[in-house]
Order: sequence, then structure tokens, then C-alpha cells
Amino acid sequence: MPDVVHESVFNLQFPFTRTLGSTLSTFFSALAQGQIIGVRTGGRVIAPPLEYDPDTGADSGTEYVKVGPKGTVSAWTWVPEPTHLHTIKNPFAFAFVTLDGADTAMIHLVDAGSESAMKPGMRVEATFKPVDERVGRIDDILAFVPAADPAPSAGAGDPWDAPAEPEITTQDSFCDLVYVDNTSAPTLLWMESLLNGKLIGQKCPVCNRTFVGPRGLCCIDAVELDESHLVDVPDRGVITNFTVITPVQYPGQLETEPFARCSILLDGTDAVMAQQSILDMPASEVRVGMHVAAVWVPEAERDVSEIGNRGWGSGGDCISGWRHTGQPDEPEENYLERMM
Amino acid sequence: MTRTENDIAIVGFSQSPMVRRSQKTETEMLLPVVQSAIASVGLTKNDIGFTVSGSCDYLSGQAFSFVSNVDAYGAWPPINESHVEMDGAWALYEAFVRLLQGDIDTAVAAGVGKNSNSDPSTLFTIEMDPYYLTPIGADPWSMAAMQARAYLDSGKATERDFAEVVSRNRSNAKSNPHAQVSGDFDIDELLAADYIRNPLRRHDLPPTTDGCAAIVLARGKKAYDLCERPAWITGIDHRIEAHLPTMRADITKSVSTALAAKGAGVGNAPIDVAEIYAPFSFQELIVREALGLDASTEINPSGGSLAANPVMVSGLIRMGEAATQIMKNGKRRTLAHATSGPCLQQNLVCVLEGDE
Repeated sequence: MPDVVHESVFNLQFPFTRTLGSTLSTFFSALAQGQIIGVRTGGRVIAPPLEYDPDTGADSGTEYVKVGPKGTVSAWTWVPEPTHLHTIKNPFAFAFVTLDGADTAMIHLVDAGSESAMKPGMRVEATFKPVDERVGRIDDILAFVPAADPAPSAGAGDPWDAPAEPEITTQDSFCDLVYVDNTSAPTLLWMESLLNGKLIGQKCPVCNRTFVGPRGLCCIDAVELDESHLVDVPDRGVITNFTVITPVQYPGQLETEPFARCSILLDGTDAVMAQQSILDMPASEVRVGMHVAAVWVPEAERDVSEIGNRGWGSGGDCISGWRHTGQPDEPEENYLERMM
Repeated sequence: MTRTENDIAIVGFSQSPMVRRSQKTETEMLLPVVQSAIASVGLTKNDIGFTVSGSCDYLSGQAFSFVSNVDAYGAWPPINESHVEMDGAWALYEAFVRLLQGDIDTAVAAGVGKNSNSDPSTLFTIEMDPYYLTPIGADPWSMAAMQARAYLDSGKATERDFAEVVSRNRSNAKSNPHAQVSGDFDIDELLAADYIRNPLRRHDLPPTTDGCAAIVLARGKKAYDLCERPAWITGIDHRIEAHLPTMRADITKSVSTALAAKGAGVGNAPIDVAEIYAPFSFQELIVREALGLDASTEINPSGGSLAANPVMVSGLIRMGEAATQIMKNGKRRTLAHATSGPCLQQNLVCVLEGDE
């Protein structure tokens, strides 16, 4: 028989497209051409530019100037073991680099070969990705490297004639985070009971409500509940509420026809099992007050890997759905004063 | 000094064990801590006028995780509740302001962080500037290390000074039953360790911690009903600097801490004890200088955030520890500091006083 799941790995990934606004559009459009620029505001050149003067909040204007490609390192640190977040995979430095022609620093990578090469005041020079790989993002600069010639950058401080309509106005990013959640004690009890084809709950000793799927607490009285509060509950109940969903075909959506998701109040309990599916019945026939019973997945095929710590009352892949028992419905008005 | 109905005090404090990996969910951690803080002043959940918490969905990896956490308050009948996506210290600030409205006389501020589900050292890369820093993977360790390097290059401290901060905090933590990391550490042995991010070694970084805390606040006469020696909040101020650390004139100074300290009245009288939220060892030195504290102030008797650092809770714990020094240890005037954002971007300073 399958076992409970003590840890679940969750990979949170989502794409994001940001609009850049006029200042950053101008900067990233120039960067894709291999030119780093800053903006003159408040008597100094900020590079990379911001659309506001961070000291005053005033619009920083459009007086763009060329900066770099060489600059001078002030603060730095060494990354001996780069992670998946970092854009180069060999050991490298992060550094404050004040580009020639700028009055503020830019934080970027310095690919210096070894930690011992890093020192304040060192001269570095930007290296760019090949033109056809640039997308108008800060990592179009691969890294700074020690400058072959420490002499000032030619043209630094000269005006940059920005096009009226910048070519690049948005930026794609991709969020990729990994979580490892450990299953809490009440959820482990729930997983175990589902694998055994049994439903359980916890009964609060203060309000006497029975919560289906142990939660370890009563959310009404704010008291902790433990194994001594476990009760068996029946795998039959009444639909208290439902919605009919017309599926949109996003990745992972297996349904093709409108389907119902129901809240089911098990007989003798006080908290519903939410988001339950109904078998062998068109969605249009699902009713509040209808008696249903769980349809269990064969024991050898039961699986609880999709049940997380917050999936209270989720049947996981142990209950395939609920089926009308044929009993006469309860009056709908009996369920009107429930939240779910 | 005579207190008025406009004076707000900390009257109760509770914190969970601080551990590397809790087997509980945030809600399960929070419930006994919130309820024990309330019980410690002889109240029950239904007596509380306002409840506010600080936590972060990105830490636990669950959208709207703070909604589940409301179950820890027993929110039926419905309660007056709020949430900040910040350290619980900022939740306390909101509770303080809420109490000043004068229509309620008690509030609870909580903070909860199940940090172990994710890796905070990489997670907070997405907290950085989304255009200029996140795409190059500017992780929080690297950001702090560049600040540390600038601090060393300014000549104001040495790596030995950093190790001394670590050794003292971990030694102090021996008497803190909630500490995660404590003990006697030889400074030369600490300095023999490899760099994680030059010039920071493993011991200069905060531990990863699961934990939570809750503080009960009361207004005016109610504070005396609930606590023999309330810790009155006589000043609280919060200041923010530019998000990009490179836009600050001098990263070796904390201008926002100095402004918040002035606003909170730190310099008006001596401070007996200061609880400083410095996630990285050297930041304690920067904050201490900005607060204008001299050698007469005891720093972090709890061991600070080098002993336990549940992100979203550490600042609130500083407030609870500083208040405990007044409520239980008879201290006269203490200070709590909280920080947020890269390289000490945001700083909150709270001054607490006991009656003469």
C-alpha cells in the first residue's frame, strides 16, 4: 500500500512581463546596442538611471549621458559557489562599479578569475553578450572584467541622443522558487486514514464541533487539538453548496465539459469537505440537499501525494468522487445559513 | 511620570521555540503562542480589541497564508484584524497607531515565519530591484557582504570586530531558552573559517529559523490592570532609504536608523538595554553607531538575531525582549530596533520605559 508523504516539494514558477516606463526603456534599448547610459539629475549622473531622483522624488528628466564601458570598483564580495540564481557559473565577484562618467555605482558581476584579483579601485570593463543574444536586460552585460587599459573610457559623459520611441519597452522575467514543506502531524493522520479507506475528524472539547480532516486546532475557540480528539466520521453526507465550472483549457486542466464542485457536510459533522466532485451525474442536476456517498479508489491505487498541509478535507487520490445515494433530498433551506 | 489614556504599553509577550525546522505549519505554531501571550495578562481571545500579524507568503510558499493564520486567533465571532507583509515589528507599529484612536484598549501584534520551507538566502533575491538586481541573482548574502567590505574599507572596524559581535551574541544566547544557536566561541577559531561571501563567514550570517512571537499591548489604565510594570512605548519611528543601496550616499552609515532614533527620542535619556535586529554581524556595529549608544548600554542580552532569525518575527522578538527587561527585570529604559530590506534599507526604533 502507498505510504503517507512526509515532505512535499513544490516548485513555484511563473513568468512575468514588466513594463519599463520611459527612463528604463531608454536605458535597456541603449544597453541592447552595447551602450550603457545614465541620467543627469540633481547635479549628478545616476547610472543605471532611475526615473526619479532618489533624494527628492523629482522626475529625473531626459538628460541622458554615455557612461562606461570602463569603471572603478569600490565595494565587492566573492561568490565561491554560484547558485542557479547567478548568471555565470564559475566563481566571480559582485561589486559596486562606478562607471566612467557616472557619480553613482552599478551593482554587477566582475569575472576576475580569482578572489585575490579583487581590490578597491581596480579598473574593470563591461563585456556584452553577442548582439543577437541581447534582450534589453541587465544581464546583456555578461560581466565586468579587469580592464586591459585603465585609461578613461572614450566618450564617457557625452550626451546620449535617445530615440523618441525606445525600441524595448517591456522586460520578461521568470520566477522559479523551490519549497520543501514537511507534512504536519494532523495532516499525516488524515493521509493515513484516507489510505485506509476511512474518514476522520477532530472534535473540539469546548464547542463540540467536529472538523473533518484533522487540523490540530479549533479555529472557533483557538485551542489545540491532538490525537485524543480524533473521531471517526461517516463517508456519507449532504451537499450544502456547489458551483458549476465551465473549463478553460489551461495546462493541467483535464476536464472538457462543465463540472460541479461541491461542499459536502458529512453526517454528524460541522465543517464541510470543499471542492468535491460528483460522479455519474450531469453538473446541471447537482442540487443542494442531495445525499451523497464517497466512491473510494481501490486500496492499491490510493495516493496522498497531492494532499498538502492546507488541503483539509481534500480526498486526494483516494476518493474518486461522490455519488448520489438515491435517498430523498433534505430541504434546501436547511443549508442557507451556512458559509459553505 | 503620570501616564495618560493616550499612552500605550507592552504588557505581555510570548515566543515559540526557535528551531531550524518545525514540524508544524505556521498556523499550528502561532496558535499556542498568541493564546499564551493573551493568557499571560489574564485575558481571553474575546477581550482583544485588535489583532495584527506580520508574515510573508513567499517564505511559506503559499498564497494568502496569513488567511489560514487567522485560525490561530479564534476569529469567531468575527474580530478586528489586519496583516502586514513585513516583520511583526511593523504589525506592532500598526497596533500602536490603532490603539491611539482611543476606542479600544487592548491589541495583539504577532509575527510568524516558517523560514525552512524555502531558502531565505536565495529567496530574498526577488526582493531586490527587479530591473537591475534580481536578474543578476544579487542575493542577500552578497548584498550584505558588499556593505561589510565597504565598512571594513572605511577603517571603522575589522573582521575581528565582526567575530567579536558573533561571540558576544552567542554567549549571551546561552541564557536565552528560546535561542537556536548559542555557546562559547573562540574569536580566533571563528576567524579561521572560510568566507561564504568575503568578508563574511558562516558565523557572520543569521541562522535559518522557524518560529513565531506575539505581544499584547494595552492603553492607559488598562495597562496597569494587566501588568504590574508595563513597558510604555514613549517613542516609535520608522524611516526608509533608497531601495538600491548604490543610491545611498554612504552605505557604511544608517541614516534611516539615526533619523528613527531621533524621532523616537533615544538620546533624551540613557538606554539600559538595546535589542538590535542586525541579521549580519557587522550591521550591529552600524546600527549601534547610528543609534548613538555608548558603552553603558547593554546590547542584545538575548543573543539577538545571530542566535535565532525567524524572518518576519525577529524584529518583534527584539520588542518583546526589550519589554521583558522592563516588565520582569526592573530596567528603566530600553530600546528595540527592527530592520527590513537589503543592506539595512528600512529601520524602526522603539523606546520603552518603565515607571520610576
